[in-house]
Amino acid sequence: MVLMTMIARVGDGLPLAASMQEDEQTGRSLTDYQNQAKLLFRKLNNQSPDRCTIESGKMLFHYFIDKGICYLILSEPSFSKKLAFAYLEELSSEFFVQYGNRVSSVTRPYAFIEFDTYIQKTKKSYMDSRTKRNLTLVSSELQDVQRIMVSNIDDVLQRGVALSDLDDKASNLASISKKYKQDAHYLNLRSSYAKIAAVVILLVIFIIYIRYWWL
Amino acid sequence: MAYHNQHQPYTSQTNYNHAPTGNLAGQQVNDPFQPPQRGTPPSNQNEFRESRHGDDRQQVLNPQLNGEHAQGHVFPGQKAAQHPHQNLPPREHFGNPHDNFKIMSQPPMPGPPSVSAVQRSMGGGMPLHGSNQTRIDSGDHSSSVRGVLQASSLAGQPPLQKSFTPPPSSSPARHSPASNMQGQNALSSRSTPPSMIQPSATRTQGAFKPVSFVGGAGMPPPPLLGQQQTLRGSSTPSTGLGYGPPLPGQVASASPTPVQNSAITNPLFQGEQFKPPSSQFCTQPDPAMQQYPPPNSLQSPHQHPTSVQPPPFPEQVYPPSSGPASAMGQQMTAVPPPLSRPTYVPQPRPQLSQPSGAGLPLPPMPGQPYTPSSSVQGITHSGVGVAPPPLPGQPYQPQAVVRPPPMSNVASSMNATPPSSSAVPQSAAYAPVLNQPSSVANRQPTPGPYPGAMSNITNSMANMDMSEANRPINLMQETRALPFRKPVEQPLRFETNTNQGTLIPPDRKNCNPDVLRCTLKTMPHSQSLLNKVKLPLGLVIHPFKDLSSLPVISAGTIVRCKRCRTYINPFVSFLDERRWRCNMCFAVNEAPEEFLHHPVNKTYGQPHTRPECTNSTIEFIAPQEYMLRPPQPAVYLFLMDVSHSAIESGYLQIVCDSLLDHLDSLPGDARTQIGFLTYNGTVHFYRLSEGLPQPQMIIVSDIDDVFLPTPENLLVNLRESRDLVEDLLQQLPLIHNLNYEGEGDTYSSLGAALEVAKKLMTATGGRVTVFQQSIPNAGPGSVKPREDPNKRAGETPTALLNPATDFYKKMALDCSAHQIAVDFFFFNSLYIDIATLSCSSRFSAGDLHYYPSLHVKHNPMEAERLSHDLQRYLTRKIGFESVMRIRCTKGIGVHTFHGNFFVRSTDLLSLANVNPDSGYAVNLTIEDPLQDMSSACFQAALLYTTSKGERRIRVHTMCLPVVKSPAEVLNSVDCIAVVALLSKMGVDRSVTASVADARDALLNAVIDPLKAYKDTLPQGMTTGGVYVPRCLRLMPLYMQCVLKHPAFRMGVSTKLDDRVFSMVNLKMQPASYLLQGVHPDLYRVDDLHDEGAITVFEKEVPQPNILPLSAESILQTGAFLLDCGWRMYLLVGRQTSRSFINNVLGAPQFSNIEEPMYSIPELKNPQSEMFHTFVDWLQGSRPHYAPIRVIRDDMREKILFFSHLFQDRTESAMSYQEFIMHVQKQLN
Repeated sequence: MVLMTMIARVGDGLPLAASMQEDEQTGRSLTDYQNQAKLLFRKLNNQSPDRCTIESGKMLFHYFIDKGICYLILSEPSFSKKLAFAYLEELSSEFFVQYGNRVSSVTRPYAFIEFDTYIQKTKKSYMDSRTKRNLTLVSSELQDVQRIMVSNIDDVLQRGVALSDLDDKASNLASISKKYKQDAHYLNLRSSYAKIAAVVILLVIFIIYIRYWWL
Repeated sequence: MAYHNQHQPYTSQTNYNHAPTGNLAGQQVNDPFQPPQRGTPPSNQNEFRESRHGDDRQQVLNPQLNGEHAQGHVFPGQKAAQHPHQNLPPREHFGNPHDNFKIMSQPPMPGPPSVSAVQRSMGGGMPLHGSNQTRIDSGDHSSSVRGVLQASSLAGQPPLQKSFTPPPSSSPARHSPASNMQGQNALSSRSTPPSMIQPSATRTQGAFKPVSFVGGAGMPPPPLLGQQQTLRGSSTPSTGLGYGPPLPGQVASASPTPVQNSAITNPLFQGEQFKPPSSQFCTQPDPAMQQYPPPNSLQSPHQHPTSVQPPPFPEQVYPPSSGPASAMGQQMTAVPPPLSRPTYVPQPRPQLSQPSGAGLPLPPMPGQPYTPSSSVQGITHSGVGVAPPPLPGQPYQPQAVVRPPPMSNVASSMNATPPSSSAVPQSAAYAPVLNQPSSVANRQPTPGPYPGAMSNITNSMANMDMSEANRPINLMQETRALPFRKPVEQPLRFETNTNQGTLIPPDRKNCNPDVLRCTLKTMPHSQSLLNKVKLPLGLVIHPFKDLSSLPVISAGTIVRCKRCRTYINPFVSFLDERRWRCNMCFAVNEAPEEFLHHPVNKTYGQPHTRPECTNSTIEFIAPQEYMLRPPQPAVYLFLMDVSHSAIESGYLQIVCDSLLDHLDSLPGDARTQIGFLTYNGTVHFYRLSEGLPQPQMIIVSDIDDVFLPTPENLLVNLRESRDLVEDLLQQLPLIHNLNYEGEGDTYSSLGAALEVAKKLMTATGGRVTVFQQSIPNAGPGSVKPREDPNKRAGETPTALLNPATDFYKKMALDCSAHQIAVDFFFFNSLYIDIATLSCSSRFSAGDLHYYPSLHVKHNPMEAERLSHDLQRYLTRKIGFESVMRIRCTKGIGVHTFHGNFFVRSTDLLSLANVNPDSGYAVNLTIEDPLQDMSSACFQAALLYTTSKGERRIRVHTMCLPVVKSPAEVLNSVDCIAVVALLSKMGVDRSVTASVADARDALLNAVIDPLKAYKDTLPQGMTTGGVYVPRCLRLMPLYMQCVLKHPAFRMGVSTKLDDRVFSMVNLKMQPASYLLQGVHPDLYRVDDLHDEGAITVFEKEVPQPNILPLSAESILQTGAFLLDCGWRMYLLVGRQTSRSFINNVLGAPQFSNIEEPMYSIPELKNPQSEMFHTFVDWLQGSRPHYAPIRVIRDDMREKILFFSHLFQDRTESAMSYQEFIMHVQKQLN
């Protein structure tokens, strides 16, 4: 079952179209998944694999990148992978026909939200896995679906995070060592001051002693 | 005292409380200016995120509302407003409360003298209606108007005048220096024995001869009347007027009591420290004369926005905080009031009916700094032409600002004026400061939103003399308070202050006052000052008003303050190219790199010229951060009541026809969805799935546990199922037909229908439109008739104003959480309990319409109104899933909201839908004194989704100067906003306490500020009259009309539903609509002429005068048009000229005029065309349609017309004059 469909520009992750979610009927909040999807769009770039399945909790994201546009759905694990990618491809061909030449020029998010109507219709036809068309789709080996990479959402989203983590740690280390140096210097100074002070006090006592008792 | 306690909870009194500010502030548990949730970058999305999950969050954010939730279902605003009261000391109340009622129960007052004389002066026109009282008034009125005409025509040529200010061609009398003298003349009148004030004894002195002559000779014919006026005008101490209704003999023979006497009798003034010499006092010149030009001399062509631009108002000058001007002001403050000033004042004879023009510098107020500038003027104006020597013992400071003559471009000249004291006082270059406002005020019949004197106020405290715009008006004398034309309001511009640096937005103009207005045009600097002036402080907002021009910005990042999230606006200051200082929280922010590029003229490095910094109303296209979910499609669901009586009324046909006509113009895009439900004892669904040959009707009879019979195709895409929708709309009136079997169902299961509608729309959100005719009496949410028809005239029990069940409120809160708004159209003829049903709109930000007893055949006027309103309703813009936040400068807090919405946190309103006809208002408190601030800013930001699926933010910003004295505050009040806010507060009070309480509170709300104003005036001036600041001149009139409004009226039989709907309407209407309903405009239309006409779309639109709402304005010989905002009535008198009846109404004679007549034929003759241009122009001035009804003078229905004449006395309510007298009694 497809829960969410989003289309975004790969370059900057700008969402172009989406289909409204039916929160009430499925009874679960998709907000988290939606935020994950938005993060995912930002992470994707032209070097990303153009077909990928990403696990996120109990759900699966499937995405398909074509001509700089990323098509992404959220589905239940039971939903056939083949159907999912067939659905994505159908979306991509229709979307590119309708809006392909304008994709690079838009600045406003959800500029092609009207595509929602088409998404909803297509989704409906793919929902029902018993229709003849879908049965044939499932049986035929349209593409090498098995080879599609499966990864975890955390891995994808955390990619790059580790590097910056390391960077953070390194700079942290640098600053801490600097601080250590300063502290050590300060301590040194203090101890030498203490020594000098002790000597001076001794001297003064000595002088006083000489002044009043010896003479 | 019980009375006191009753007064306490009134929300309006929050501002009036004498509690220390800290007390108030301490109770505000949640500081709205703390940006706890908004500080960090990820929370950019907060505004919208909150909008989705507000329900649970609200309890955390707003402790005040928490209480509300615990208790259940009280209007959100009220609770918040009441909160501060509970620990506050009782409000100081002055005046014996029982007096309030005494006068109401008094027998009709004996009329003032010379009734016969007055009637003679009416010039043949007998009042149609009216008691003694109204006739007297009419006499007063007409005679004084005549006085104006004559006087001004004479005063046009005084030789003296030519040597002075170049008189603007439009109104010569106005700029006559006479008025300057006049006040001073009048000063001396105080000690004059009464005989000398008699018109016959009028003498003139020296240069003032022409003026005095005019006054003497220009008096209206009845000598008695003239005498009386003169006496009043000469500020006769209140022996006559002060003690209740004047007896005829009393007024005429009253001898002015010496000033000292009145001072003693008035204990309020005994502690007064400063008593200016009595000779400095001025009396009130006949205000009607200076205020209202005779129609011939001043037909201002600036009345309509489409005509020539009116001269801009003088701009506000903000002095540099350490600049020379303010230094001067401080210096002045220390100087004692110059007693030697009379030296410079010429002493002409008092003359009251002078046509006055330019401003009279009144004596300085107690405690006010005094500037000799007015002395300079006095000299200049009296023709001496020499700068006066410095006053003894006083460092002479010439008035620094030299103003060019008034005819030049005021704005530019004021811009160019440096606020430095280096300028030499040039007596040659006169029309100095104090004259300036008057010239502006004169060109506009009423002062604009920012009276010219404002610039002086901020420029230098030393200018606090009362100039023309600030001169008090005695309402006891003012026979005509109403302006002849509606004033055109201009937004205030701010002078660029060079001290703040060079990067100042060049055009600092406030947003349109129709969109955002504050009750006070100058911000008091502390709550204690606000308590002193006793005016409500609040904003009246019309955020989604249809605007003719709106700059739209599509920016990658919207520049906002990082601390308080304020949008960048024209009132910020730039420290350098990159850094700007927020005008709300004063944090310094960095502007992004792209902000340096100007999008239009492609310059770089001038961020202050960007559109964001030059427009105070602007719209941003929101980036992704402002969306939590993809923008929703436009979804419309229509719920129609098809119970027996609903079908019988025939509304279904009108609604279906309108829908069919406007299906194309429904705002939306390819995603627009539409659905229909009908209900009686059962709920009917219509399946409209694509491919069906015709719509399928599904009936669900289980209304107690209603369910969706089919998961989809109840809400369908309009474009794809267009044919089916049309088919259904054509069939609906046929299916639900009384002849059909089973349609005799008298039940109406509204609750079930709403529940199912909610289920249908939860996924998307959208608009539910309910057409309800009969009381919901089946299924969930059914209500019972509560009204006792026999007690309509008496006190309405408060319980009946409150909902009977919380079903609809709960429903509304659920809907609001899912971005669903419920709009209602009521057509009931019987009680339907609007108080309960309206909850579902109130909390879901819906819209309500009411067509009492609508019936296609029996009440075609309402039917016509419905079809026109539907046209507007269906085609107007709509914003979905919106939130509005109001931000104020640090120190000012928002505490009560009015309107239809759900309050989500202290300053965030959740509006499931927003439409261009909904207005909102907030009450403000000053939590921390605005120390060291020269201005206070307000910003209303509305985030919404357009019907095309764009997310946009509309931002309105307003900036007001901060002042420190009560007089300054009182002299710049926005009367319209005050009336609007007070009536909204009155509704709150009615619902929480009782209507009677609300009436008392409203009455006190009139009296209190006037009392406060009285305290600011020099003591001698205040006797014998109701003195009001010019800007508040109309407030007593409007408030008097509010008290007679169906929402608050007593003694008149008012249906409960009518009353409740009036209240709901008061709460949700924007100020301009509200005022039109409260105070309709009355025009005489049988003698329309071209004179003074304005040109709109190449058509000459005649501009008849607005007449007072009194039976005395109505003549048998005329036809009168009453414009009540949502309806118009045309009253045709028996002796109306034949030509009007023939040419305009198309009837051969009076008795042949159709009855009833709901439309006026368009005939091919100039008179008819002129009439139609005028009516069309009136219709065009509002977004909705007002059907017109012709009422013949011999018809019973004329009560419809006469019930709107609010200035007249009714059995249970005071006339305007009585009201003023009552106010006066309370003042003393």
